[in-house]
Amino acid sequence: MSGITASTALWYASRATGITSLVLLSAVVLLGITVNRQGRLPGLPRFAVTGLHRNLSLIAVVFVAVHVVTAVADSYVSISLAAAVIPFVSSYEPFWLGLGAVSLDLMAAVIVTSLVRSRIPRRAWRTVHWLSYGMYPVAVAHSIGSSTDLQSGWRLAVTVSCVAAVAGAAVFRLRRSLMAVPRSGRVASALDDAVGSLAGGPAAGQGRPR
Amino acid sequence: MDLDAHLAAYGPPPYGGRQLIEVVAAAGLTGRGGAGFPAARKLTAVAEAGRRAVVVGNGAESEPASRKDKQLLWTAPHLVLDGLQLAAEAVGTTRAYLYVHAHPGLHEQLGSALAARAAAGLDRAGVQLVTAPPRFLAGEESAVVSRINGGPALPRFKVPPVFRRGVAGAPTLVHNVETLAHLAQIARYGASWFRAAGTSAEPGTMLATCWRADGTVEVVETAIGIPLRELLRLGELPAQAVLVGGYHGTWLTSVHAATLPLANAGLRPAGAAVGAGLLAALPHGRCGVAEAVRVVRYLAVESAGQCGPCLNGLPRIAAGLAELARPRPQPRLRADLERWAGLVERRGACHHPDGSVRFLRSTLAIFGTELTAHARGECSATSHRPFLPVPAGVPASQAGWI
Repeated sequence: MSGITASTALWYASRATGITSLVLLSAVVLLGITVNRQGRLPGLPRFAVTGLHRNLSLIAVVFVAVHVVTAVADSYVSISLAAAVIPFVSSYEPFWLGLGAVSLDLMAAVIVTSLVRSRIPRRAWRTVHWLSYGMYPVAVAHSIGSSTDLQSGWRLAVTVSCVAAVAGAAVFRLRRSLMAVPRSGRVASALDDAVGSLAGGPAAGQGRPR
Repeated sequence: MDLDAHLAAYGPPPYGGRQLIEVVAAAGLTGRGGAGFPAARKLTAVAEAGRRAVVVGNGAESEPASRKDKQLLWTAPHLVLDGLQLAAEAVGTTRAYLYVHAHPGLHEQLGSALAARAAAGLDRAGVQLVTAPPRFLAGEESAVVSRINGGPALPRFKVPPVFRRGVAGAPTLVHNVETLAHLAQIARYGASWFRAAGTSAEPGTMLATCWRADGTVEVVETAIGIPLRELLRLGELPAQAVLVGGYHGTWLTSVHAATLPLANAGLRPAGAAVGAGLLAALPHGRCGVAEAVRVVRYLAVESAGQCGPCLNGLPRIAAGLAELARPRPQPRLRADLERWAGLVERRGACHHPDGSVRFLRSTLAIFGTELTAHARGECSATSHRPFLPVPAGVPASQAGWI
């Protein structure tokens, strides 16, 4: 690999933020599935899973934005800003970059609807949020196809692990329907939980396994 | 009052169409279900929604200590039904519902009232009776709509609001039955008649359920602005504290309450509100802390179980308050209770957590000395009979919300 010169810095930045975005987005999708399955992360309170999913997704947005902007700004290859959001109009690798544009558009829809979630009907938010399951594979395809980066070495290993983790979690999400606690049981068990945790002292009850 | 007596006293409902909304606006009628929202604004919003609307009379008085809606439906159902018809005409619809709890005899009574009206050809809109389950949240506006739509009586997300999409997707006007009764009388006698009572900011009369310190309960029609001292006869029947506004309301010391009127202008600066006109004077010799523990546990049990903070937080608060009422509680428990209260409010689809936290906070403020005594293992009460009515039990199955 040649050294990073001033003229190629942006290109390298785009590639680096690209793979970082892939890792972040994988984590975000995994956390999203954990939220849906009402799972918990060790040592964290229950609401932290949702909070982490949300915060990490916003960090991912930043990395994706930098990835796009550096790719557009860079003069190594010609990628117009339009090509970043309109699929398949780029002169460089139109197909693979087009996939990137598709996943960027889907991601924008998911993020924007989530930001205005309290103002739109819940069903609308939920329907758009399902697009995440489309966005992720398209983003992965874009990553693998747009440059040879991910096709060998440790970067390939990282990519494969991310994809395997998300695929496994998605299968888990689709296979097991959550055994919803019937409403009549929810409050009773919440009351038992609360009384039990207080009997153990005020600090007990935080970080208890479900 | 049966139909003949009603017609003899008041005549048939004075149908007049949409002008009713202006008269109601001039009268300044506000909702009597607790929120106090200007009735004319709701009527206008639904009338201008552009699609055929639905009108609902909400008689599901889910507050255990409140009796005024039941009393009204028993003794003057035709006033309510007149109001329902007039409201339906004002918003241009012929679809109406009456939503009431399943009290023995009440449905039959209302059914025969409706049949008598149909026979006399009084009604222009068809009225369907719908039963509300015995849940605290069953009377919440979106829960009403959900139940009428065939689902459980659970509060829903407020987007879009019910006046845009409610029963069967139609713009829905939900009014408390007392509001409808007032509306019927305003239609007959005019805005200035209504404004002759009450204050200029809060005109008219209202029904108040008064639990006095001697154990009697009375539903009184009173002008807004009457001193609480008079309503509860605090002079002859001394009390230690007064609960204003029901189980989502606020405790006040008796001394403070004796200086206040039944009006938001006087109550809001004290942190209370008129709400649905429920007043309870806790007599000396009862334990306010024990009453509050029972009430907060009830509020926790009545959570819809839909929103995490309410479902998890209210039981924790209830258990915490019960712990706080026992001798030698953990020193941090009081601070924990305040913290949990802050974490729970405004984090639900409805205002159940907010109201419950308001009740809790006023309990901690007003009964502070009693709590200190309890921590030492003492209680100033001479009688441990419950004063405030709190239904027992938890719903046993999913059918508990239908």
